[in-house]
Amino acid sequence: MNLVGIATGKVLSSFSVFLFLTILLLAVARRISTSILLFSLQSAVIAAEVLATAFQQKLPEAYVVGILVLLIKVIAIPSAFFVLTRRLKTVRDVKASTTPTQSVFIVAAMIYLSYGAVHSYGQAVHVPDDALAAAVSLILTGAFLMVSRKKALMQMLGLLVLENGIFLAALITTFGMPLVIEIGIFFDILIGLLLMGIFAFRISDTFEHLDVSRMRRLRG
Amino acid sequence: MRIAADILQALILILGAPLVRGIIARLKSRLQRRRGASIWRPYGEILKLFRKENLVAPTSSAVFRLAPVLLFSSMVSVAAFVPVVHASALLRSGGDFFLFVYLLAFGRFFLSLGALDGGSAFGGMGASREALVSSLAEAPFLLSLAAVAILASRADIAGIVAWTLQQSVFNISAVHILAFTSLAMVTVAETGRMPVDNPTTHLELTMIHEGMVLEYSGPSLALIEWSSAIKLHSMLALLIALFCPWGMAYRVSVWQLLLALAVYCAKVTFLAILVSVIESSMAKLRMYLVPDFLGVASAVGALAVIFTALAKR
Amino acid sequence: MLIRLAGAAFIFLITALGGLVPLILIIGRAKVARRLAIVLILAANTAGCLVAVFSFLQEPAPRLVLHWVTPFYFSLAADRLSAFFLLLVCAVAVPVTIFAVPYFDLHRSEQRRRWIWAFFSLFLFSMIVVVTASSGFAFLAGWELMTLVSAALILIEGDSPERRHNVFIYLLMMHVGAAAVAACFFLFLPYSHGLDFEAIRAAGASMPGGIRTMVFLSAFVGFGAKAGIIPLHLWLPRAHPIAPSPVSALMSGIMLKTAVYGFIRFAFDFLGGGPWWAGYVVLLVAAVTGLLGILYAIAEHDLKRLLAYSSIENIGIIFLGLGTSLIFLTHGAALGAALALIGALLHAFNHALFKSLLFLGAGTISTSTHSVDLNELGGLQRRMPFTGVAVLVGCCSIAGLPLFNGFISEWLIFRSFLAGSSLVGTKAQIILPLMVGILALIGGLAAACFVKTFGVAFLGRPRSARAERAEEAPFGMRVGMWLLGAGCVFIGILPGFVLRPLVSLVQVLVPGAGVPEETLSIARIIPWIAAIVIGTSAVAVLIKRRERITRTWACGLPELSSRMQYTSTVFSKPIRFIFAQVYRPDRKVERLPSDQPYFPVSVSYRSVRTTSYERALYRPFVESVVSLAHRLRRLQTGNIQVYLLYVFLALVSLLALLRFER
Repeated sequence: MNLVGIATGKVLSSFSVFLFLTILLLAVARRISTSILLFSLQSAVIAAEVLATAFQQKLPEAYVVGILVLLIKVIAIPSAFFVLTRRLKTVRDVKASTTPTQSVFIVAAMIYLSYGAVHSYGQAVHVPDDALAAAVSLILTGAFLMVSRKKALMQMLGLLVLENGIFLAALITTFGMPLVIEIGIFFDILIGLLLMGIFAFRISDTFEHLDVSRMRRLRG
Repeated sequence: MRIAADILQALILILGAPLVRGIIARLKSRLQRRRGASIWRPYGEILKLFRKENLVAPTSSAVFRLAPVLLFSSMVSVAAFVPVVHASALLRSGGDFFLFVYLLAFGRFFLSLGALDGGSAFGGMGASREALVSSLAEAPFLLSLAAVAILASRADIAGIVAWTLQQSVFNISAVHILAFTSLAMVTVAETGRMPVDNPTTHLELTMIHEGMVLEYSGPSLALIEWSSAIKLHSMLALLIALFCPWGMAYRVSVWQLLLALAVYCAKVTFLAILVSVIESSMAKLRMYLVPDFLGVASAVGALAVIFTALAKR
Repeated sequence: MLIRLAGAAFIFLITALGGLVPLILIIGRAKVARRLAIVLILAANTAGCLVAVFSFLQEPAPRLVLHWVTPFYFSLAADRLSAFFLLLVCAVAVPVTIFAVPYFDLHRSEQRRRWIWAFFSLFLFSMIVVVTASSGFAFLAGWELMTLVSAALILIEGDSPERRHNVFIYLLMMHVGAAAVAACFFLFLPYSHGLDFEAIRAAGASMPGGIRTMVFLSAFVGFGAKAGIIPLHLWLPRAHPIAPSPVSALMSGIMLKTAVYGFIRFAFDFLGGGPWWAGYVVLLVAAVTGLLGILYAIAEHDLKRLLAYSSIENIGIIFLGLGTSLIFLTHGAALGAALALIGALLHAFNHALFKSLLFLGAGTISTSTHSVDLNELGGLQRRMPFTGVAVLVGCCSIAGLPLFNGFISEWLIFRSFLAGSSLVGTKAQIILPLMVGILALIGGLAAACFVKTFGVAFLGRPRSARAERAEEAPFGMRVGMWLLGAGCVFIGILPGFVLRPLVSLVQVLVPGAGVPEETLSIARIIPWIAAIVIGTSAVAVLIKRRERITRTWACGLPELSSRMQYTSTVFSKPIRFIFAQVYRPDRKVERLPSDQPYFPVSVSYRSVRTTSYERALYRPFVESVVSLAHRLRRLQTGNIQVYLLYVFLALVSLLALLRFER
């Protein structure tokens, strides 16, 4: 077997490990820039997985999907985020409402939960447990980030991580989602981010800060 | 022949310990744009201290005098557990990691008692902070080692190393990555390096280990310095042996052992570079953030144990 | 022939402690009567040890039965499990008695002493009856006697409203526990012919599942209340510190173990394991007990309360081993169950040894310095070197350091957790190894706690005039402590002697178990480690020679006073800060005069720790019981005709019941 073959084999068997690592690091990350970097690393791992599966199962459209993921989620979106943070001049801190220890314990519990949840399903669909559990953990982690981080930018990042998880889950269970749907999802995300970016500017201009916990005027 | 190799391993760990410290100190100086002392300086210091006399406070008792001796002997016995050049050690069968961890605790217990016997406030301060750090560091220490032991289905350190040697290098194991992270954080806490404790300071705001040894001098201080060097060396050797042992000798022959020794030196130097880079680039954690640091280590260790049952890999 | 001798020794043990000694003390007035009584106690306990050892060496295990048909069936027998706990009781009783001789001589008047020794002997008698009982009546009689006699011993020590309140709480909770224990026995009645242990064992195999669950739960609650698991432990830190030190040693060292014995007897011998969730419940409760126990111990600066809370922690560790064993039993893994059970039994024995030693040390300190407040002690090692060494051995053992006995039992329990990873079923595979982390945290905190205890009490400078005037203990007290310390070190370095009999005991309790490998490997390696450590220490001691006495350095500070040292409260502050959610004290700072906050004339600080579950659990419960009692009071109208009406109503309802029964 040539080198590429070995490499793809290794990527496919161990990418979930790297996803779990990025999840843990996201839980303890203290700065927004670190979180953005971790998100782009996560997307890179997912892109690698897509490309490896494309190589192994010889699906040309999957290559397109992989390149798309690489371009949009690994390069374009994180750069946009960095530009956003610089323009908004926000403070670097992530403003978490749980201590790092509590966050890691919660994430550990979520990983345990996701393994328990996918066990029976994974056996039915003949899909390795690790990959599905990684996808479900990504979804839960995205939700956790949105709940526990008070900066609006982190809410956006949480949504992106959530979408990563959904994307991965769809990829694994039904490999060969039609290309059109994939492109559609991507455009959805792009438009959503554009809107959120515009809103972030407006909120920052009006309130002079982006701390979600201080925006309680909507209370009745 | 194997016993000779095992004794040689223990001697390498004990006698080579000040050298590791010297390398780390010199690398740190270079990173801080100073020239730094020679890497053999710690040997000179220990010998110089042995030539001096012990200064003892009038209120101290036998515990003060015996603490460095007991600390040193427990470190010597700890050094007999860790494989260096081949997958075997002096205390092999039955020498499991619980005994390793608790022998370290034995030394630390008597050092804290010696600190309290000095009769000054600094000893009490160092002992009290050390009590906080060490009581919280035991859980991640044992959890991460337990995770690796469960995968190897044996508890003696030499046996775990032998099992790891048989695995392929390129099989990435979530349990091992998590256990390594947890154990590395515990190593930083246990050996008193940054960001948990500053080993080069004598300011009362920043010292844990240095506070405990403030009253000691002469041969007692030499034994204590040597013991902390042995502890650092043993823990680095443990990290190497458990997580990256490839390169160890398969048969006990002179050439293979020499080759394994060279590989080990390269690995230890790499770890020393890593330690100095981390120490020079991070600020010391505030005292009450250290439990958070150790809490993250515990959570990662617990996750490693959970993964042994879930992913089995 | 040997059996006859053993039988005679057993009879001697029982009659001496139960009848002869109290009789002598009550009748005889002369000092020689007291001396004779003490000699009899020592001889009886030694005979008890010999009986226990004899029961172990015989194959198969002998049963020494004495029963006389009183109104109820009273029978004692010494099978292997009883023999182990008999050895525990007698082996600890001998050094404690030797200690108690000069202790009571120094403290009490002649008249009081006779009563104290009489009750002391009755206390030992009751505990021996409990562990060797082989009929329900004997067990319950001994159980009650234990409670009553220990309460009497506490009250003899002194009488004040606060003491009476604490004794009241003690008696109350002990009787609640005794009710649960009695319920355990009586639940067997419909299925067995009597309350003889043989009959109960036979019935236990064929009982329906629901009854077995109820028996297990009431056994856990009843014996747990006596052993001191959280949240039923409220009486322990109130009762143990106010008893005289030898009695505290017996209470903490032996009485708690009788509860462990009862639980083992029910869960393993009679029920053969309990329901499938039993082990997990025990494990969870034990983890909470161990953790909270040691956290409360660290915060204490009263030495005896600290030791009482530390007993709670060790009971938690013992039940961790028992819970693990139950989990293994439900999975059918006999070897793992045996390993965990050996760990738990050995920890019970070790705890008896080192906790008695520590309480005797506290007694010595209170005799020499008239204070058990750690913040007032210090520098005692120089003034009481022999006592200090003995207490140091006790502190090292309880911290679980290698070469002392505490490590061996904790190690066995750790290894049983690791063995849990080989069970079938993810739940056990995850929960048991995670318990390694919990036990590690408990052990780490225990080591920190006893560094503080020994360091603040014995090392450094004396913190008060009382500590400055401390004197070495009398010879008898030292001998008692040293005997216990020697036991700790012996088991720590040569554990094989104790492990082999334990293995044979556990093979009876857990049918089908082989010899766990771990017991052999630890017995092989610990002597080597001891050799390395002692050898290296000897070499190192020979190297360091010259020494000069000079001032304390302390970075050049000119004049050091003893107040500049760390006290016990300050030492534990970082840990108390981190675990602040557990403690939650009520703090009150008062500045006088209150209208000038920045220029106070006096500032006072008061911190009261009421344990949070006392507030959340006990007070509402107590208040509801009291209000219920108030409402039931209305039944007592004081009117004779109403009372006659009650009798009439009772008759009518019984007749109605009889009619509907048909």
